[in-house]
Amino acid sequence: MINKIPDFLLVASDNFKQSGKKEGTNTTFLDLTLHKIAQTAKSIYIQAENTSKSSLIYTLNPYVKVISLIYLLVINSIVSGLISLSLITIFILILYIIAGINIFQIYKKIIILAFFFGFLIFIPASLNIVTPGEIILNLFSFDKFHRFWIYNIPQNIGITSQGCIVVGRLFLRVLNSISFTLLICFTTSFPKLIKSFKILGIPDSFLMIITLAYKYIFILIQTIEETYFALKARLIGITNNKNLRKLIAGRIFFIFKKSSINYEHTYFAMISRGYDGKIILFSDKKFVVTDLISLLIIISFGILVVII
Amino acid sequence: MEEIIFLKNVCYSYYGKIPALNDITLSIKRGELFAFIGQNGSGKSTLLNIISGLIFPDSGSYSYKNNTIDEKKLHDKNFNQQFRKSIGYIFQNPEVQLFCPTVLDELLFAPLQLNISQEEAIDRAYKVLAMLKIEYLKDRPVYMLSGGEKKKVAIASVLTMNPEVLLIDEPLSGLDPKTQTFCTELFLELNNAGKTIIFTTHNLELIDHLQPRVSVISENHTIEKTCPAAEILSDESFLVSINLIHEHLHRHDGEVHKHNHTHYIFHKHQ
Repeated sequence: MINKIPDFLLVASDNFKQSGKKEGTNTTFLDLTLHKIAQTAKSIYIQAENTSKSSLIYTLNPYVKVISLIYLLVINSIVSGLISLSLITIFILILYIIAGINIFQIYKKIIILAFFFGFLIFIPASLNIVTPGEIILNLFSFDKFHRFWIYNIPQNIGITSQGCIVVGRLFLRVLNSISFTLLICFTTSFPKLIKSFKILGIPDSFLMIITLAYKYIFILIQTIEETYFALKARLIGITNNKNLRKLIAGRIFFIFKKSSINYEHTYFAMISRGYDGKIILFSDKKFVVTDLISLLIIISFGILVVII
Repeated sequence: MEEIIFLKNVCYSYYGKIPALNDITLSIKRGELFAFIGQNGSGKSTLLNIISGLIFPDSGSYSYKNNTIDEKKLHDKNFNQQFRKSIGYIFQNPEVQLFCPTVLDELLFAPLQLNISQEEAIDRAYKVLAMLKIEYLKDRPVYMLSGGEKKKVAIASVLTMNPEVLLIDEPLSGLDPKTQTFCTELFLELNNAGKTIIFTTHNLELIDHLQPRVSVISENHTIEKTCPAAEILSDESFLVSINLIHEHLHRHDGEVHKHNHTHYIFHKHQ
């Protein structure tokens, strides 16, 4: 089998000529997005690697973690005092320190999220229009009191002390919810975390679907990353957003087709290993002393916070 | 030896248009080491899918231990369970075979679906992990495994069922030489332990290593010949006729020359 090589391939190429003129290439929005997706794949990998640490919080039974998560979120919603909520914040911070997670790095992200979802959204609640009370900072004054449809607009509009407490309470609740949820996510491998939802009575089949969907996301990210590298290698950075969009649209169908074939095979694999419509998953419900002690500490802390 | 698998005049086509198997008649005995060889697209994997009861022939019949296997028969839950317990299938692409959260879950999946007790399933899983020397992967999510590790886990996930028959689609594809050697030795050991092993390949070197009984599937999707490996491998003109070996350019000691593929068996310098 001898290949007939076209003439142009027989000519020695000398493409690597530098023109001397320096010209920057534009990093397009899609280029950046694809790069970010690839980074996400790596962060998932890092998260999964991190969860294999041997320190206390990592080794706790995932069931204990899920129970603690639900319990603390309920407590976080019940308590209304700023001191109690601050105590929960400090408690979670201590847990981060025990887990050995870089608190500056992680709290940077948590505070940004809490700022948007727990502060900016609730800022109107600090005004006397929403929360009546003693004005501590006057923002605007009308010449008189106004009545508009069902609304009463006071003469002076400003931030009230009661409003600040409401916003502070909501901010701390959001901060605590995000930080504790992330702590559990960072210290538990995703598969174990999913399986531990069994304790909430979620059927095995549903958990299996979540697992498969998670796996699919990972495969998809990997495919996208590979596509990104392939494009990057062949387009030499000279493409624009429009062309890149066209190229990516073409790949989307390919990825969809590929995944549908893969999942037919996965289904076959499941059938050949005894799947008949009902899934039984293995669950390790063994609790050791440290699990029970940890659970006891969390429960006691919750009670203490409620009492305060 | 007792006949365990029997296919008679089996035909199969995809979407009723693309032929995959044409008039396949074949018998495999208990404890046999058996291979299907043929070029890509000849229908080897389709044949394994039929033997494992995942798809059913358009015409002809397939029987396993004197039970005709068809869709209706596999709707019987008890029969289905016994059949699945008895036949383990290792797919070519371990990526699609592994779908559980972690490696340990993967190994426990089949025993748990087949109503083996949790204690027994765990015991089997740990023993298989130890046998394949992959205990360290126990808690690892499957998407974080290398190609070789995935293959080992795929094999392990089937072995925990303790199947009587092992179907292996392209056992060595995509594996590095060390893992290839590991798998080859493992299949020989499993066969020596009494397992019936049926695999597909177009790797003649593997055929030479394992010396199975071989069925050659032609590009017309029919069985061209069934005989011992030695007989097939010594028939160079036959292998050329079915496109499993061919002439190719080759460089040796700075000299480019032509000879038949593959190097291991048919390395003849002119």
